[in-house]
Amino acid sequence: MDNKQVVLEVIAEVAGRPLSDLTPTTELVAGLNLDSSKALQLLIELEERLDIEIDDEQVGRLKTVGDVLAAVDAVAA
Amino acid sequence: MQLLESVTTLPREILAAARSRPERGVTLLDRRGRATSRRSWVELLENAALVARRMAGLGVGPGDRVIVCLPTSQDWFDAWFGAAVRGAWPVSMSPQAATDGGHLSSRRIDAVLSTVDPALVVGVPAFVEKLAGRIQAVTPEQLSRAPEQDATAPDVAPEETAFLQLTSGSTGVPRAVQISHLAAVHNAHAVDEGAGAPWGCRISERAECWVSWLPLHHDMGLVSVLSMMCNGLDLYLMPSNTFLGRPKIWLEHLSAHGNSVAVAPNFGYQMCVERLTPDDVAGFDLSRWQVALSAAEMVRSDTVSAFVDRFAGNGFLASSFRPGYGLAEATVAVTMDRAGKGARVLPMPSGSGGGSGLSDVVSVGPPVMDTAVSITRPDGTLMGAGEVGEVRVQGPGVFSGYYRDAAATAENLVDGWLRTGDRGFLDDGELFIVGRDKDLLIVRGQNIMPHEIEWLAEEEVGGGGALRAAAFSITRDATGEEIVVAVETEAKDPAAVSALVEAVRSRIGRDIGLPLADVIPLRRGRLPRTTSGKVRREELRRRYLEQELERLGTA
Repeated sequence: MDNKQVVLEVIAEVAGRPLSDLTPTTELVAGLNLDSSKALQLLIELEERLDIEIDDEQVGRLKTVGDVLAAVDAVAA
Repeated sequence: MQLLESVTTLPREILAAARSRPERGVTLLDRRGRATSRRSWVELLENAALVARRMAGLGVGPGDRVIVCLPTSQDWFDAWFGAAVRGAWPVSMSPQAATDGGHLSSRRIDAVLSTVDPALVVGVPAFVEKLAGRIQAVTPEQLSRAPEQDATAPDVAPEETAFLQLTSGSTGVPRAVQISHLAAVHNAHAVDEGAGAPWGCRISERAECWVSWLPLHHDMGLVSVLSMMCNGLDLYLMPSNTFLGRPKIWLEHLSAHGNSVAVAPNFGYQMCVERLTPDDVAGFDLSRWQVALSAAEMVRSDTVSAFVDRFAGNGFLASSFRPGYGLAEATVAVTMDRAGKGARVLPMPSGSGGGSGLSDVVSVGPPVMDTAVSITRPDGTLMGAGEVGEVRVQGPGVFSGYYRDAAATAENLVDGWLRTGDRGFLDDGELFIVGRDKDLLIVRGQNIMPHEIEWLAEEEVGGGGALRAAAFSITRDATGEEIVVAVETEAKDPAAVSALVEAVRSRIGRDIGLPLADVIPLRRGRLPRTTSGKVRREELRRRYLEQELERLGTA
């Protein structure tokens, strides 16, 4: 499974939404109801599943599903 | 007040505690709960003395304000205590809020800077860059290269200001609460005595460590750390993101270092219940957690019982759960459960639950030592036992005033009594908080003024100020307060109304990071207003809950 698929699945899981709700422009807060603690939970799930480290100072800058995909791409080998 | 007769200043109290407990200090934990650095209190104060000389080298003098805008780190301690040792007034500020971008955040920063008028800002690089040319601002690294100068500060009286605490004012303009050395040290003694009350000793005689994830720019986060330093406890601190991402790390450290004490708002306990499985906490010994204080947010009985049930298997005792009440204007602690017999719950008095939606209310205990609480009518006259009114507080912890804001000080400090803006009643000497008069919104421990949300919503609506927005909170379940926004619009076409609703959600999601429970589009002029045109948020909330609002159709 490629990273993109894992990221989408983890977002869907943490948000409690079906995968079909997610597009790159879906907003984390307004669209998926992810408040800051859920967003941090999401990053940690991603770190554990993909064995990467994402700087959690970034969390405030991640606004959309696409932003999360880009952040993972930036740190994944 | 006998204890306080010998009080000198906060830094001296901490120095005395450090010398009597040379083995104690602060350990910082990273986001995976690993210890990244440890310093004894003595080392920390020696470092602060060096930083004070560097601040003097940058022209900082006694009584000057120094803004510290850093995450929880040794750098934060260096800067905050460096300023304190210099005799300046440290002001802790959220680095996240300072660097968020967004014009709301610039507006807030401008207001803080003009109120506090700092001689120096020690901040994260992004904030320092932002301030270039306006105010003397340095990163911790730049500060470490500043020239040293003599930093001997003149003696100050205990009644003089020790630090400023930022808080949101009722009009959305930040205020700086002035806390004296006496008030800060009193808070330390009051918590030490109150938390230890069930055992008839000071809690520092019974517990070894304090474990916290509360941000150091938050009143309870900052003051609890200062208090525990005065009381000579070992501190284990983690950034709040660590807890929010992995609540287990908090419990892990409460279980790992001997007898422990901690404080969190209700949502912290709720999060542990919702997010942690028995597997996550297998092997944790929470019988060592002597005192689990819950304050800074309404304490919910359902959260208390869920937490106690969930962690009983790890040895957590119901009697360790200790509700309390406090606010920045009272340094922090006002009341605290002293009995240690588990949360005491009464039915919510009819008609007084406000928007809380709760059917019962948890005792937050009697006033801490030397402190009095009264329940009054708006004119200040006393109400009887059991009657709901405004909570007022008197005692050594009450603030000296809002810095450079005499009008706000006069409004909130009446004949030595602090008007808290919270509503409650007394029963058998214990305080019960049922809601608040002020428009403050508290979402997951974060204080938000409705204006901040309303400004953003009004920008999305356009209308040059004629179309208004109003924000209020509702409580549907143990999640706590959630925000609802009503917006006026000229749009009638359902598709246009829907687009506006989405735009408001998106803007508030992006700029404040808050999901909204509901956005209600209304026709122009439909928000309830006073004769002077002020939006009546309480009335709006009532109409919303009674389903009396005429919501515009959406697509």
